[in-house]
Amino acid sequence: MATPAVRMFRRLEGLFCVYKPSGVHWKLVRDSIETNLLKVLNATPSQPLPQEVRFLAQPSTETEAPKGLTLSATSVPVLSKHPLVSGPEFQNIQVGVGHRLDAFSSGVLVLGVGNGNKTLNDLYRTRVTRDYTLEGEFGTATDDFTHTGGVVERSTYEHITQDKLERVLAMLEGANQKALLMYSNVDMRSQEAYEMAVQGLLGPEGKSAPILTGLRCIHFQPPNFILEVQCLNETQKYLRKVVHEIGLELRSTAVCKGIRRTRDGLFTLQDALTRHHWTAADITQAIRQYHSSKKHRKRSQSPAKKPALKTSEDVTATQQNEANEEAAVGKIKKLVAETRS
Amino acid sequence: MAFPFVRLCPRHVSTGLQVCSYATLSKASRPQEKSSAGPVFQYVGQNKKPTPKVFVWGFSFTGALGIPSFVVPDSGRKKPRKYQLTPYRLETAEQISSAACGYGFSLIASSTKDASKLWGMGLNKDSQLGFQRTQHSRHQSYDYVLEPSPVALPLVNPLQTRVLQVACGRAHSLVLTDREGVFSMGNNSYGQCGRRIVEDEVYSGSHIIHNIEGFAGRVVQVACGQDHSLFLTETGKVLACGWGADGQTGLGHHNISSSPVEVGGDLSGVEVQQISTYGDCSLAVSRDGQLFGWGNSEYRQLASVTEATQINSPRHLPLKGCGKVVQAACGGTQVAVLNDKGEVFVWGYGILGKGPNLSESSTPEVIPSTLFGRSQFNPSVAVTRIRCGLSHFAAVTDRGELFVWGKNVRGCLGIGKRDDQYFPWRVTVPGQVVDVACGVDHMVAMAKSLL
Repeated sequence: MATPAVRMFRRLEGLFCVYKPSGVHWKLVRDSIETNLLKVLNATPSQPLPQEVRFLAQPSTETEAPKGLTLSATSVPVLSKHPLVSGPEFQNIQVGVGHRLDAFSSGVLVLGVGNGNKTLNDLYRTRVTRDYTLEGEFGTATDDFTHTGGVVERSTYEHITQDKLERVLAMLEGANQKALLMYSNVDMRSQEAYEMAVQGLLGPEGKSAPILTGLRCIHFQPPNFILEVQCLNETQKYLRKVVHEIGLELRSTAVCKGIRRTRDGLFTLQDALTRHHWTAADITQAIRQYHSSKKHRKRSQSPAKKPALKTSEDVTATQQNEANEEAAVGKIKKLVAETRS
Repeated sequence: MAFPFVRLCPRHVSTGLQVCSYATLSKASRPQEKSSAGPVFQYVGQNKKPTPKVFVWGFSFTGALGIPSFVVPDSGRKKPRKYQLTPYRLETAEQISSAACGYGFSLIASSTKDASKLWGMGLNKDSQLGFQRTQHSRHQSYDYVLEPSPVALPLVNPLQTRVLQVACGRAHSLVLTDREGVFSMGNNSYGQCGRRIVEDEVYSGSHIIHNIEGFAGRVVQVACGQDHSLFLTETGKVLACGWGADGQTGLGHHNISSSPVEVGGDLSGVEVQQISTYGDCSLAVSRDGQLFGWGNSEYRQLASVTEATQINSPRHLPLKGCGKVVQAACGGTQVAVLNDKGEVFVWGYGILGKGPNLSESSTPEVIPSTLFGRSQFNPSVAVTRIRCGLSHFAAVTDRGELFVWGKNVRGCLGIGKRDDQYFPWRVTVPGQVVDVACGVDHMVAMAKSLL
C-alpha cells in the first residue's frame, strides 16, 4: 500500500532541468535539491500507526496475590513503525545529474529523479548536442583560460575585425566538420556513408574527442565578443581552450569570461528552474511538463526510436531555440540578476 | 648577551600576495593582480594583409611537386617520399597567381613584371618546361626538374609583360601573356603547340618556345587537352589546334591541325566566356549560361545530344535542371558544371561524387550542398570554382574551403589516405584556398593565410 510520501515520490520521478549559477559546484546543486525534496517528502502526513493486539499482563492489585498470569488483549500501536523509531521514510532519493557543468560555468543542468535516471543513461548514449554561449575578451592569456586565472601574456587586439573573426570561425568549423566524418565508424567507401553524409547524420557514436558542430559569433565589440557554440562530447575546459585558441589564431590572445549552457538536448533555458524555484512543487510541475511533452512528441513523430531521431529532434530544438534565443537571453539576464541579489 | 636580530627594513608585503606558512589561498579566492607593469606584445599590425601561399600534394617522383628533398633526400637518414598525401607548403619567390598541372609536371606563374615570372617543375622530356640548362653542360637540358626553375620566355618586353594564365597538357604547355599573346612549348607531334609539325623532331632539349600567331583578337583564356589546345579570344570565339582523332578540336574533321583554326558548329555566333578540357573531350560555356561540347563521348559525356562515341563539331548540350551555367570543368572521363547558385552538377563515367553506386550517368546529377558544408549554421555556402583532374574533381567554396572527390591516383586528392573518395571531402589546407590546379596524380593549390 503506497503511503502519501511514496505517491508524491512517484509524481517526482522524471527529468527536469535547473539553472546552475556560476561559482557553485554541481554537486552542491544536486545535494540542495535532494535535501529540498527530502524535506517535503518526509513532511507529508504519515499514515496513522497501525494497531496490533498484544496480550499484556494485567497490572496486579495490592489486595489480591494472583497465583497465575492473567493476560488481557489490548490494542496497542506498533511502536516499531513509529517515525521516531524507524526514521524518516525517505533517507535519500536517487537524484542523478546529466552532463556536468564545472564551477566556472552556468546554465542548464539536467537532473533526474528515481526512474528518470534510466532515461539519463539513454541520454548519455545517444548523440545529443548541447548549446553554449561563450563570452570572451581579447588582450590577455591566462593559465586556465579564464579571466580569473594568472596572467601569462598580454597582447594588442586593435587589428581584429569581425571579418577576421568570421574567417577564423569558418576555419574552425571546417576542421570540426571534418572531425565529425573522421570519428564516425562508417566505412567511407560505402553508399551508406554517402547517404548519411548528405543528411548530416555522420558522427561519432559514444565517446569521442569534443567536436563543435556549430560555431558563430553573435556579438562583437572589441575587446569583448560572444560566441554561440553547438557541441558534442565536450567539457567546459575544452570550450575555454577554444576561446584561447581563437585568440591565438587571430595573432592575439583571448580569455573566456563566462560559459553558459543554453540547451542540453531538449531542455532549454526557458525550462530551467532558478534557485528560488528549487522546491518540490516547482520540480513536480517541471516533471509533469516533461512527461506531457514526451507524450506529445511520441504522438506527433514516428515511433522508431533510433539515435537518428534524437538528432533530428535536436535540429528542431535548435531551430526553436534560435527563435527563442533573444527572449531567453533577456529573460536569463533578469533571472541572473535575481539570483545574484 | 645575544640580542634578538631585528630587521631594520621590514619585508614589504604587497597587498595582492598573502603567502603564509600554513596554507595558501586558493586560486579562486586570490584577487587578480592587475599586472599593469607587464609587457604587451604586438604580433600583427593593423594593416597586415593575408600572406599568399602555395601548397602541393600528390606523386612526387616526377618532381612535379617542386620539393627536391622528396626525391633526393638531403640527409642520409631520410627516405625519399613517393606520395605526399596531405598539402605541403611550396616556398616561392613571388606571389603565384596562376598554376597548372600537366601529366607529371607543373607550371606556376606570377603576375609580376619582373624578369622571372614563370617557373616549371616535373617532367621535361619533351621540353614542356622549356630548356632547363644542366649544371655541367650548357647544351644539355634536365629531363626531370625537381625544383621550381624559371622558364625563359622569349618576350619582346620582358619587364613590361605579365603572365595571365598557364595551361598544361600531356607533353606541352601554353602560357598566356597580357601584351604578347600566347607562347607554347613542348611536344608538337600533333601540332598542339600551334606551329608547323617537323618530322622526326627531337623535343628533348629543345629551345623552341613558339609565339602562336593567327589570332584575330586578343586571347583571354587557354586550355590544354591531352594532345590538343584551345584558345578563347576576347570576342568570344574559340580556336583549336592539335590532335583531332576524337574530334576534340571541333573543326569538323578527325585530322591534325597544326595552327589555330576557329571552331564552328553550334558555336558560330555564340560568345563564349570559358573553355575547359583536359582529356579528349572539350566544353565551352557561353555568356548566357549555355553549355557546348565536342570531342570524345565514349564515357557518355555528350550523351545528351548523341549516341555516337565522338563529335567533331561543337553541339549545344541541353541540360535539364542546371540553370545558368557559370563554369565547366572537363576531366578524362567525367564532366562537372557549376551554376550561378553555386550548385555542382556531374556526369560521365567514374567516381562522380554521389557514392559508390553512381559510377556513370549521362544526365547531370546535382551534388547536395550539405556535402560542401551547408548546414543550419551556414545556410548559404556556395561553390565558386570547379576543377577537374584526369579522374578526380576539386571544388572551392566561397568560404575558402577545398573539397575533392574521385579516384585517388597516387595520393592526388590530398586527404591523407590513398583510398578513393566517393563523395566530396574537405582537404585540410592551412589557409583559405583561392584557386586549385588538378593534374593526373598531383595538385597545386593557391591559398592565402587567414589573417
